[in-house]
Amino acid sequence: MGTVQGGAEQVNIYSSAYSSASGIVRYALLAIPLVFLTVFFLLPLALTIVVSFWERAGFWMQPTFSLRAYQDFFGGPRLFLLRRGLSVAALVTALGLALAYPIAYFLCMHVRVKVSRTVLLLFTVPFVVNYIIRNFSWAYLLSRTGPINHALQALHLTRGPVDWLLFSDFSVLVGLVTSYMPFMIYPLWLALAGIDRGLIQASWMLGAPPLSTFLRITLPLSTPGIFAAIIFGFVGSFGESAVPIILGGLGYQLMGNTITSTLDVLNYPLAAAMSSIVVVVMLLFLGVWYLAFDVRAFLGKIVRWRY
Amino acid sequence: MEHESGRLRRRDVLKLAAHATAGASLLRLGPLSALAQAGAAKKGTLNFADVGVGDPGGDWSKLSSATGWNVNLVAMGNAPSQVLNVLIAGGGKQVYDVVNIVGGMQKPLVENDLIIPIDTGRLSNWTKDSYIRDFLSPGKPGFDFIGYKGKVYGVPTVLQGDSFGYLPEKTGPLDSYAALFDPKWKGFVALEDNFTTTGQKTALYMSKNKLATIKNPADMTTGELKIVTDFLIEKKKEGQFRVIWTSFEQSVDLLVRQEVYVMDCWEPMVFVARKKGVKAEYARPKEGYLLWTMAAYIVKNPKHTSEKTKGIYDLLNFMLGGWYGAKISLLRGYMTNPDAVSYAKANQKEFPGNEAAEVARIHNNVRSKFELGGTWQNRWPTNVEAYEAEWARFKAAPSK
Amino acid sequence: MRGGRALGTLAWSYLALTLSFLYLPLFPPFVFSLALPAGEPGGLGLRAYLELWRNPVLTGAIQTSLLVGLLTSVLTPPLALLAAMSVRELRAPRAVLLLLLMPLFIPGISMGLADAFLFRLLGIPPSLLTILIVHLLWALPFAFLIILTAMAGFDPVYLEAAYLHGAGRLRAFFDVELPLIAPGISGAATFTFILSLNETVRTGLVQGPWNTVQTYVWSTYLQVGLSPTIYALMSLLIALTVILILVIRPLLTRRSQRTASV
Repeated sequence: MGTVQGGAEQVNIYSSAYSSASGIVRYALLAIPLVFLTVFFLLPLALTIVVSFWERAGFWMQPTFSLRAYQDFFGGPRLFLLRRGLSVAALVTALGLALAYPIAYFLCMHVRVKVSRTVLLLFTVPFVVNYIIRNFSWAYLLSRTGPINHALQALHLTRGPVDWLLFSDFSVLVGLVTSYMPFMIYPLWLALAGIDRGLIQASWMLGAPPLSTFLRITLPLSTPGIFAAIIFGFVGSFGESAVPIILGGLGYQLMGNTITSTLDVLNYPLAAAMSSIVVVVMLLFLGVWYLAFDVRAFLGKIVRWRY
Repeated sequence: MEHESGRLRRRDVLKLAAHATAGASLLRLGPLSALAQAGAAKKGTLNFADVGVGDPGGDWSKLSSATGWNVNLVAMGNAPSQVLNVLIAGGGKQVYDVVNIVGGMQKPLVENDLIIPIDTGRLSNWTKDSYIRDFLSPGKPGFDFIGYKGKVYGVPTVLQGDSFGYLPEKTGPLDSYAALFDPKWKGFVALEDNFTTTGQKTALYMSKNKLATIKNPADMTTGELKIVTDFLIEKKKEGQFRVIWTSFEQSVDLLVRQEVYVMDCWEPMVFVARKKGVKAEYARPKEGYLLWTMAAYIVKNPKHTSEKTKGIYDLLNFMLGGWYGAKISLLRGYMTNPDAVSYAKANQKEFPGNEAAEVARIHNNVRSKFELGGTWQNRWPTNVEAYEAEWARFKAAPSK
Repeated sequence: MRGGRALGTLAWSYLALTLSFLYLPLFPPFVFSLALPAGEPGGLGLRAYLELWRNPVLTGAIQTSLLVGLLTSVLTPPLALLAAMSVRELRAPRAVLLLLLMPLFIPGISMGLADAFLFRLLGIPPSLLTILIVHLLWALPFAFLIILTAMAGFDPVYLEAAYLHGAGRLRAFFDVELPLIAPGISGAATFTFILSLNETVRTGLVQGPWNTVQTYVWSTYLQVGLSPTIYALMSLLIALTVILILVIRPLLTRRSQRTASV
């Protein structure tokens, strides 16, 4: 992995396995979160996948290998929820990124550190309020007789109450973006904060205009933050169950809602199948990311040292 | 709940200050205090999982002083998945002692070995309860709410009949479920997100008005289900419904904000809306009501000693008693047990002002619903999977 | 530097606008908490704030939520740090990244149910421990990504400098790298606390006899409606947090700056 040449010594910064005791201790420590996840996450996930191939038998299940649950899903009205979930999540993530990046950039580059930390913390305040109550407040704000409609009519911008403000795709978007955009600010800020200012100054000194500096230096170096922000936004909004039922239109559902609904009637195989499908889709999405984005950027500036 | 004046009194401010500094009130029923309580209570604590309806304002003192048992109320949702999955998967069997939900869930609960039959002989208030005799005895359709295969499994602490609520100032008096589908209120109607209540009310409406042949709205065949769902989808496409509501709070809000004028909902929503100053009425439809009861089940907990079981029966008996019944009637607007009316009247100090009259009024109101009849809500129909699939189809159908 | 005053004011107004938009849904709870039932005599409707402390289920839930939140935010960052280090040090960064991120991809209800089954199989009764485990599972990927992002900006040349000065690996890490990624770790802790406070679905399935504020609010919201006391609780939380951020924290940091030697 990373080595530094030059000087009298060749020092392995991140050395490979020792056979000494400290090496074993090191591996043991590093393994803790992995073991934790394997037991409490991989095992239940495996269980879920296995169950998805079982069939309903009365109130419990018959362990077999059957594609019935998958057929039910792909052949039924629920398939479109998967498409909707993906498109909504993509839209929310794109919007969130567009809104959050300028904030993170501004706070990082042009504001004193103390002030920017305080402002960042201010973004967390809405989250001490239960998200059900938060979204319910939005329902109140966007309702036909709510303050926003009142304001619109008072300003003579509309003649009557605007119906599509609430119980529509619009209100779901509002709910999701306000719920997840703040999450996206922090990793962006963190990544931007870690950029060596010397690089940016060097770019100026070499005569590059500000936009060029941004596009060729700042933006690429902030990609780890963008990666994290996209994951937070996409995964968060895809898996959201509360916003659709509080703010969504007639029968508006996302995958989380329909899984709950099948569990209501103890249809475990179908619920398990849908969960497995969601995981597979997300993995595909992550796979695309792996191809497009060099994971080694997370390993720190090592990348620069390799060539 | 709201008996005294809302003004901030000096006493209250001092009390608040005392609580804030001492932080004593925080040690009520959390992890630390549960331990403390276990030592303090004479006999122990009963874990009572409830959907919110059975909570008498947090005050179980009458039970504790009479029997020495404390009650730890755990909030849970009413959806079958909540109940079943918490008990089956969530280890609830070893944790909960009594589960208090809307009845009619005996079949999946018994078949999954989650509850035990109730020995009504051990409940002194059972035979006194004329409501049980009149509406829920074996052979009557109401028995399906508390019994299974001839045995009693649930204690019916609350009885009620559902129809729909409306704003008479906007619609005038309404007396039929047809209002839910009336194009006059297009875009100003809301339905409940529940295939057993909404689906059943629609089926009741359709069969009574000869729009479809449905043998038993309480237990439809897949063919009948399809007809009802097609009808609902057609209405959805016409833009008849504003939203399908999923929670009590949301539904009250819709009435109070006048976001909708006609709404398929429960009566307490109308009561709360009235308390908030909105003129709302609960309809008395000519097709009849959707009748239901709460049922308190005893969880089949392998750790139950005979002493604990006695404590559980004490709790169940207490819930069939006058004080509890009157409290719940006042808090929720539901009918509970006949003792509630007489108890409230006889105990003016505990139920001051016109509370006793209110309890009597509520009970008379609900009694008349049961007398009118309608259909008993079926929470676990034979084709329950088809119900859910058809409901998913309704939800996924495009509107307009 | 960059742009004129105009750009600066534009940026600040954009910031303020976004913040106020996000704060919009915080006002209704405050208004609702002051709600007086119709027909009652005047006076400030602060009764809900008093009733709050008299509700044993709610106060118990607050206790549980705080306890679980604190424990989670203390336990998760170290785990996430270890995981982030293992991305570097074990030979399969992509696999580790994948494993750490996967819990994000499973819908909450499926995860909660599957874990509930697992607990039953392993014989772990529903308790604060099970709640803690599901909260850890949920928060770990977030904390992990944040710390990883912070580490991505860390220049290993500092470590090299430490080694050249004779520091051992452990010492170099603690004295050099850790302080530089500290904002990442504290950010991860804050994130974790927030996530834990907001977690509802998974908790509901494994909570057993414990209530958290979330599951309590969820249940009352569904079945009997929210009361002014819950809105009062939320308003208090908002006020407390804002005071903490705008008043207490600056006081603390100013004091530590005065005592720190430059």
